[in-house]
Amino acid sequence: MTLDDLIAFGANVDEGLGRCMNNEGFYLRLVESLKGEKGFESLKAAIDAGDLDAAFEAAHALKGVLGNLAITPLFEPMSEITELLRVKEDADYPALVDAIMLKWNEFLAL
Amino acid sequence: MLKSHEKFHSENGKRLLLIADDEFINREILREILQNDYELLFAENGEETLEVARRSKGVLSLIILDLKMPVMSGTDALHAMRADPELANIPVIVATSDQNAEVESLHLGANDFISKPYPQANVIHARIQRAIELHEDRLIITKTERDELTGLFNREYFYQYAVQFDHHHSTTDMDAVIVDINHFRLINERFGTNYGNEVLRCVANELLSAVREAGGIVCRSEADTFMAYCPHGQDYKTILEKASRGIADENAEDTQTWLRMGVYESVDKSLEIERRFDRAQMAADTVRGSFATRIGIYDSLLHEKELYSERLIDDFATAIKEQQFQVYFQPKFDIQSEIPVLVSAEALIRWNHPTLGMVSPGAFIPLFEENGLIQRLDIFVWRAAAAQIKDWKTRYNFVVPVSVNVSRIDMYDPHLDSILLGVLQEYDLSTNELLLEITESAYTQDSEQIIDTVSNLRNIGFQVEMDDFGTGYSSLNMLSSLPLDALKLDMQFIRSAFAEGGDTKMIEIIIDIADYLSVPVIAEGVETEEQLVALRDMGCDRVQGYYFSPPVPAGEFEKFVAERNEIDVAVPEKLTPSREIVPPRRSGAFGEVTHALAAGFDAIFYVDIESDHYVEFTSQGKPENLQIENSGSNFFEDAWGLLFEAIYPDDEMRVGLNTQKNTLLLQLAGHHPFYMTYRIVENGRPVYHAMKAIKARENDDHHIVVGISNINMQIQQALADMNIRTKRTSSDIY
Repeated sequence: MTLDDLIAFGANVDEGLGRCMNNEGFYLRLVESLKGEKGFESLKAAIDAGDLDAAFEAAHALKGVLGNLAITPLFEPMSEITELLRVKEDADYPALVDAIMLKWNEFLAL
Repeated sequence: MLKSHEKFHSENGKRLLLIADDEFINREILREILQNDYELLFAENGEETLEVARRSKGVLSLIILDLKMPVMSGTDALHAMRADPELANIPVIVATSDQNAEVESLHLGANDFISKPYPQANVIHARIQRAIELHEDRLIITKTERDELTGLFNREYFYQYAVQFDHHHSTTDMDAVIVDINHFRLINERFGTNYGNEVLRCVANELLSAVREAGGIVCRSEADTFMAYCPHGQDYKTILEKASRGIADENAEDTQTWLRMGVYESVDKSLEIERRFDRAQMAADTVRGSFATRIGIYDSLLHEKELYSERLIDDFATAIKEQQFQVYFQPKFDIQSEIPVLVSAEALIRWNHPTLGMVSPGAFIPLFEENGLIQRLDIFVWRAAAAQIKDWKTRYNFVVPVSVNVSRIDMYDPHLDSILLGVLQEYDLSTNELLLEITESAYTQDSEQIIDTVSNLRNIGFQVEMDDFGTGYSSLNMLSSLPLDALKLDMQFIRSAFAEGGDTKMIEIIIDIADYLSVPVIAEGVETEEQLVALRDMGCDRVQGYYFSPPVPAGEFEKFVAERNEIDVAVPEKLTPSREIVPPRRSGAFGEVTHALAAGFDAIFYVDIESDHYVEFTSQGKPENLQIENSGSNFFEDAWGLLFEAIYPDDEMRVGLNTQKNTLLLQLAGHHPFYMTYRIVENGRPVYHAMKAIKARENDDHHIVVGISNINMQIQQALADMNIRTKRTSSDIY
């Protein structure tokens, strides 16, 4: 994975790099480590089981990490679902999660 | 200051931070941002956070805390830390993406927060730095700004604060205020330092709220002195009343006599802050011991006095140089021989000021004592006296020993002996020709140092007399541990004894005690033949006073030397108490007191019931430790007054009735002793005491002896015995 791949994916690389003291190698290592993140699976499982509390915990944690690395295409829908889950809004959560999983798989392929 | 900062550094000089976040990536990002400037520790949940914080308390500068974590949330961890005194002060910055949680965490005691996603690195740095600085400054300030006992500002911080306040409010009219507690030392001695400290805390609290209300600041400046700086025009009477309330609760009656106040209104801000409070202190001192007036105001009169004092201090150097100081001499006579014989003289300083005229020693000596100039003045007098002794010795071939004052500050000079010996050498005199007088008050503080100094002076041959005996806090115990060469009874003592309605009993007692210690007694201020005869009969050895002569210049004094020279009576160089040869009529009072103390009382009052004069003795269980604890002129108010400050409420009425003078005297009709038990509140608990009062002698209607003892142990034991018996009785029944 390169910076260009991330830019093409839609990540705000400048912002993410800035947070990592513009240390390109360090930033890429962190982004790469994100691929091992189990939170997405947990989020999907919780939604499937209808456990909104567990889903919120998972989404909230992911939102923080994605935000810090500025992976915008994942961060934005994750923020949205986190805020919905925080107040347990009546929403089509499976559809939202499906959209996230689609982007997540795109990311894993980078 | 450096030291307390150092405390926050880890070993390599960097401050130590704890990063608590369950997400690896978040931790790593913060590590990357902070690792060059800080030493870092990590935790992945709330429990770990608490654990690490406890382990590194005292060296941990700050925690960055994620609120949402597994096992234990950051919110719970923060809650736990703020409840734990050891961790409560560690600054915490909360990292959260939830804006509502920001407010909540500030309420919980977070010092600041950063958002997630993290802001720019320099923003994070700035926030951390600011939180640490604020915390450390506050820590240093709280360590140095407060008086530990009362929690009020200490004096240094108070002054700084007041100066700052003036800086920002240069047009606000301000008053400087001093509040002192009357007889605080007595409170401490009577009821113990714990109680004394409690009194200080109570007064501090009340004063703080009253002064705050007035928009001012307050501090404890030292011991029992408080200072306040308030916008001009407060109702100080009300403030003083409120402050008195602090100690009023338990001892309801007339507690306003506890405090006195000095106010310097509308301060002159060109004066240094310390000087403004000096003026308030001067004002407070004017009402010392006055029950009618409790607030002293710095007015034009005091201002004139202050200017006068300043002038005297300024003129000191010139006065020494131009010989404006003159030494006068007052003769001391031996009155136990058939005709009074000149034995020595006292050297007394006079200041003939070129424009102010004769300045009273009472005006300048306390001033010079305060600022240390007295030492130079003393040496001046020592040399002048020595020169005069030498002159008379040469011209009359007769030695008149002259006594000179040795001030308290001299007693602390490690070179005192060599200075004195130098003076003697200069005029070719010996140590028994220049006598030394020290004042009683010099003895009461740092007594060991003083005892050492006096012992040393006596070892090299000086004779040391104690001046002003009977005015202060007389520790006879110390007298017996340090043999002196004479006791000088204070002039005031003689005056009040021979005044109308006065009583010489106290003098008799002191002569009695001096006799017991084999120390001759010199009476000062003797003015009439009646006094002279009475003192001689009581066994007083020597007398000084206007009856013989006021202090006079050396030229005038010479007539006594000439006269003395003609009387060819051999006077021993070092006078021994002459009553060893002619036994005087003993008063026996001392015997009564020691006898009573031996009977197991903790304190004995010897009271003259016509004048209400009294002396209080204590011995701590051993007659050889006998000391005068206190003396005064109004037994029924002073001694009982203190009793009522701590009396157990249930006993108040009964004791109040029985301790009235009339009732007590009625009880003592005939030669029956009167007994009474009562309870005193000590540390919140009632403690049993017994009082026994009896006429001093069978046919003596003028003097009573009152003994006080703590009988708590006996009573408690008796109560316990009764309990056991009651129980037995009850079990017998069943």
